[in-house]
Amino acid sequence: MRCHDCGKLVAANKAPEGSILFCPRCNNQIHYRFTNSIARTWALIITAAILIVPANLLPIMRVDFLGSQEYSTIMDGILYFFHSEEYGIGLIIFIASILVPLFKIIGMLLILLSIQFKWKTWLRHKAAMFRFIQFIGRWSMLDIFVIAVMSALVDFGSFTSTHTAHAATFFTAVVVCSMFAAMTFDPRLLWDS
Amino acid sequence: MNPSSALTACPGCDLLLHKIKPPAGKKVYCPCCNTPLYQQKTDSITKVLAITISGLLVFTPAVFMPLMTLEAIGMTQSGSIFDAFLSFYHQKYYFAAVMVFLTSIFFPLFKLSLLFSVALQLKLRLYTSSLPYLLRTVHHLDEWSMPEIYLIAIFITIIKISSLASIDYDTGFFCFLFLVLTIIASTSALDTRTFWREIEAMKPSLREDSPHD
Repeated sequence: MRCHDCGKLVAANKAPEGSILFCPRCNNQIHYRFTNSIARTWALIITAAILIVPANLLPIMRVDFLGSQEYSTIMDGILYFFHSEEYGIGLIIFIASILVPLFKIIGMLLILLSIQFKWKTWLRHKAAMFRFIQFIGRWSMLDIFVIAVMSALVDFGSFTSTHTAHAATFFTAVVVCSMFAAMTFDPRLLWDS
Repeated sequence: MNPSSALTACPGCDLLLHKIKPPAGKKVYCPCCNTPLYQQKTDSITKVLAITISGLLVFTPAVFMPLMTLEAIGMTQSGSIFDAFLSFYHQKYYFAAVMVFLTSIFFPLFKLSLLFSVALQLKLRLYTSSLPYLLRTVHHLDEWSMPEIYLIAIFITIIKISSLASIDYDTGFFCFLFLVLTIIASTSALDTRTFWREIEAMKPSLREDSPHD
C-alpha cells in the first residue's frame, strides 16, 4: 500500500483485517483508496454544478460612474474586453472563468460515470484529463482576484468606483467545491475495474 | 525483501514499479497511466532553504505596501494586497473575502514558513517529532496557495484601468512580483522524495529498519 502523503510503500499484510494502519514515516492513516472517494466527489461535483448557475447569471461586479450604477455578470466583463479589442485578455478570462469550471464539472462527471458503469475505454486519456483538471482547478480564482484588486484600487469617490456583487460568493463556492472534488477523487479507482 | 526500499507504487494507478534514479533534470513517468512519478533535483534542501528565506523577507512589504498609485481627474488612489482583501470584507462578502485572504496571503506565508522550518531542520540534522506533520501539511496546502494567479489578476487589472487612470508602480508591486517568483521557485526546487528520505533517515525509531529509501 502506498501512503497518500509521503509515498512510502507499506506492506499490506502487516495489519490484521479491519484495523487502521499508520504510516511509519509520516504517521498518516494508510488505506488502499481514499475513503468514500466516489460518494464525496459526486456530492461536491453536484454542488458545484448547481452553484455554477447563479455564479454566471447573477452580476459579479458593480461599477459606479458619475452617479449611475452598472451591474455586470462574468460574461459582460468578457464581452467588454472583446468590444475594446483586447482579445487576448478577453480570451484568458473566458477560459479561466467560464470554460475551466465547465470543463472541470463535465470532465469529473464523465470520470465518475465511467467508474460507476465500469466503462473500460480511454483510461489513459481519462487519467490525463484528471491530471489536467487537478492542474487547472486553481486558475478559476482569477476573476475573483481581479475584482478584489479592482475594488481596492478603483475608488475615486463619486467619479467612479468598483464594487463586488452577489455572484462573487457563488463563484468562489464553485471553485472551492470543484477543487475539493478533485482532491477527494482517487484516480486509482479508474484502473481498479 | 523490504518493500519500501526497492519498489514504489504509482499514485495514479497503483502499479508497482522498481525505483530508478533518472539523471538529474529528467522525469520518470508511469508506463501504465503516464502520471509523472519523480524528478531528480540537486541540492534540494539548500535551495529550498535559501529561497524560502528570501521569500519570507519580502513577504511583509509585498502584502502591506501599496501595489500602485492611480491618478485620475486630479485624485490619487493606492492599494495593497491586504487592502484588496479588506475591500471584500467591508462590502460584507465574507466567504469570498476569507477565500481571497487564505489563498493570497495566509497560505503562501504558511507554505513558505513550513518549508523554511522543514528545510532548516533537515539542514541542521535536527529531528523533532513534528517534522513529518510539517511536510505533510505542505503537501495538503500546496494547491490552495495561489499568489501566481493573483499576479496575473493584477496584470489584467492594470490593462483594465490603464485607459481610466495613469498608473505609478509602487514598492509593493515589485515585492509581490519577487514573492511570487520565490514561491514558484520553492515548489520547483522541492524534491519530495529526498525530503522524505532524509526525514526517515533521521527518525530514530526507523534508522535500523530501512536506512536507504
